[in-house]
Amino acid sequence: MAKKTAQTLTKEQIKDRTEAHPLAVPFLWLMDEKVVKNFIFVPFIGLIIFSVLGYFYKPHHPAPWDVFPFTYTLIGFAAYSFVVLAAWPLFKLLARPENYYGEGDDD
Amino acid sequence: MIEFLTPLNPAFILILAGIISAFTPIYQGRKFLLIAAPIAAFVMINAIFYGQDTSEFLGGRLSFAGIDLITLRIDQTSLVWGYIFCLAGLINGLFGLHEKCKITDTAALIYTGAGLGAVFAGDLITLFMFWELLALSSVFIVWRGGEKSYAAGMRYLAIHILSGVLLLAGAIIYGRAVGDYSFNHIGLDMPGGWLILLAFGIKAGFPLLHNWIQDSYPKSSVTGTVILSVFTTKVAIYALMRGYAGTEILIYIGGVMTVFPVFFAVLENDLRKVLSYSLNNQLGFMVAGIGIGSQLALNGVAAHIVVDILFKSLLFMSMGAVLHRVGTVKASELGGLFKSMPITTLFCLIGAGSISAFPMMAGFVSKSMIIAAVFEEHHYVVFAMLLFASAGVLEHSGIKVPYFAFFSHDSGKRVKEAPWNMLAAMGIAAFLCLYFAFPWGGYQVLYNLLPFETDYHPYTGDHVVLQMQLLMGAMFSFTLLKRFGLYPPERRAQILDFDWTYRRLGLSFVKWVNAVWARLGLLMTLMFKRFFSQTGRRLYQVFSPAGALSEDAPSGIAAVLIAGMLSAVLLIVYLV
Repeated sequence: MAKKTAQTLTKEQIKDRTEAHPLAVPFLWLMDEKVVKNFIFVPFIGLIIFSVLGYFYKPHHPAPWDVFPFTYTLIGFAAYSFVVLAAWPLFKLLARPENYYGEGDDD
Repeated sequence: MIEFLTPLNPAFILILAGIISAFTPIYQGRKFLLIAAPIAAFVMINAIFYGQDTSEFLGGRLSFAGIDLITLRIDQTSLVWGYIFCLAGLINGLFGLHEKCKITDTAALIYTGAGLGAVFAGDLITLFMFWELLALSSVFIVWRGGEKSYAAGMRYLAIHILSGVLLLAGAIIYGRAVGDYSFNHIGLDMPGGWLILLAFGIKAGFPLLHNWIQDSYPKSSVTGTVILSVFTTKVAIYALMRGYAGTEILIYIGGVMTVFPVFFAVLENDLRKVLSYSLNNQLGFMVAGIGIGSQLALNGVAAHIVVDILFKSLLFMSMGAVLHRVGTVKASELGGLFKSMPITTLFCLIGAGSISAFPMMAGFVSKSMIIAAVFEEHHYVVFAMLLFASAGVLEHSGIKVPYFAFFSHDSGKRVKEAPWNMLAAMGIAAFLCLYFAFPWGGYQVLYNLLPFETDYHPYTGDHVVLQMQLLMGAMFSFTLLKRFGLYPPERRAQILDFDWTYRRLGLSFVKWVNAVWARLGLLMTLMFKRFFSQTGRRLYQVFSPAGALSEDAPSGIAAVLIAGMLSAVLLIVYLV
């Protein structure tokens, strides 16, 4: 990515580089569609690595639910998913127009 | 009097600086005070505490209305709060260096002083004085948010004054029963114990008493929110630790406090409000630790106070910088800001990693002490709640805040990087977030500050693996939900919380009572009018010259009446 010359860059990329803060330019690839799409593999690989490490580093004081070496991976995944998925019905239940209290919004 | 002033309570340096600031027209002078006063207070704390041999310094003795007050107590516990309050005061001063607002400068100094005074209070009456000063000084910071913050400020003031009244009532009941107003362990069995707990609970943001945090903090100014996030709630945690360590009910209250904000934070669009819920959630960890009350738990609470102030300030500062530059912190309006504000992004990510308790970041070395203490005491349900909340923290503060502000979709907003003073303040906080988690000589510095000796080691293989499993599982869930479009989009809305009961239901009830009262008043007036007019008419009909009594009556009727009356009298006399 860093080797790209001005000729290989699209108009949008050139505009992006011109407008961006100099310190941000080396990291503009973070917004690349491919990178965003494939970012899922970063936590997935991390998840596998630490699940495997769970076989070697077992808790010194196991909790009653410490049945698998990767129990906490499941807990993290399930808890996070529950919180996020619960937001759908909760939003329907609790969301009101921004000026519901007649005091304007917070900004 | 001289004994009261010698040694001078470090809190008074800040309060005095605040008073001077109010009369200083040149803003550079006020800014000098904002930076210099916390440093002077820090020096003074050390000079007092390390200038004597005992582990607890008691001074500033004063007799007031027959009550012996100890206005200054510095020991290993209050020292932790004292240090971090001075540091926070300095960081806040640096962060707001560009702002030319006399009210914020003055209120910030007095507010910081009130915080210091409260944690160094040796008796309940002194605590009450500083407790109220905290409320009175901070409400001006809330109001600096502009017209929209006025109502929130009034609600803030009302609930904090209520907290003060409860504290005073509880303190008097307790003091009269015990014969001593010293602020030590109180407990729930003592007279006034519940009242004082309720007073502390309001300021600590107990469930259903928490709404003042999310109501007022996000409505303050860029600098104001950062200042507000530090002191009030942390003073309450100190007070709970001092007065209610080992009180079992706090374990469950803390557990609930960690869990419920998670659900609200995910719904919120305003990122400063998200952080306010996150503040509540972190306080929950501390409250649970206080409930456990073991040395490990209380050390965890003290350590978490230090790092929480750092990473929470850091997150609030990064959002403050975004608000300063972009003019909004609505997640729906932001995105792609890392292109314009890369340094702020980096600092925000350090704050996000720290609050999520990634290894090598501050939360990892403090939160784990509390969770381990809960586990050691076999409170498995609360332990599970804390684990759940840890995944929740990653959601709202670890991912949502940095992701929607700096990454996500590109909002097209191109702004300048934050001013140098904001970056410097964030830099100090970020450095300390990393330093206090550094395995080789970093966290040991933090642990050396704690109230009790500890041999706790956060960097064990099983602990690192466990924590990373939890975080990686949660992060994978985020990417998966995002990939399949199951992550809810950020939308502008007002999310109802418990404050609906008084902002809507309560207000509607008051309006209804008012309307009923007005109608009732009208009806009563009408009824009285009718009653008096009818009575008048009847009296007129009877007694007027044309009335019934003026009419001629046959003498026979009078004879019958007199005979009847005589019979009645005779009967009564006979019977009696």
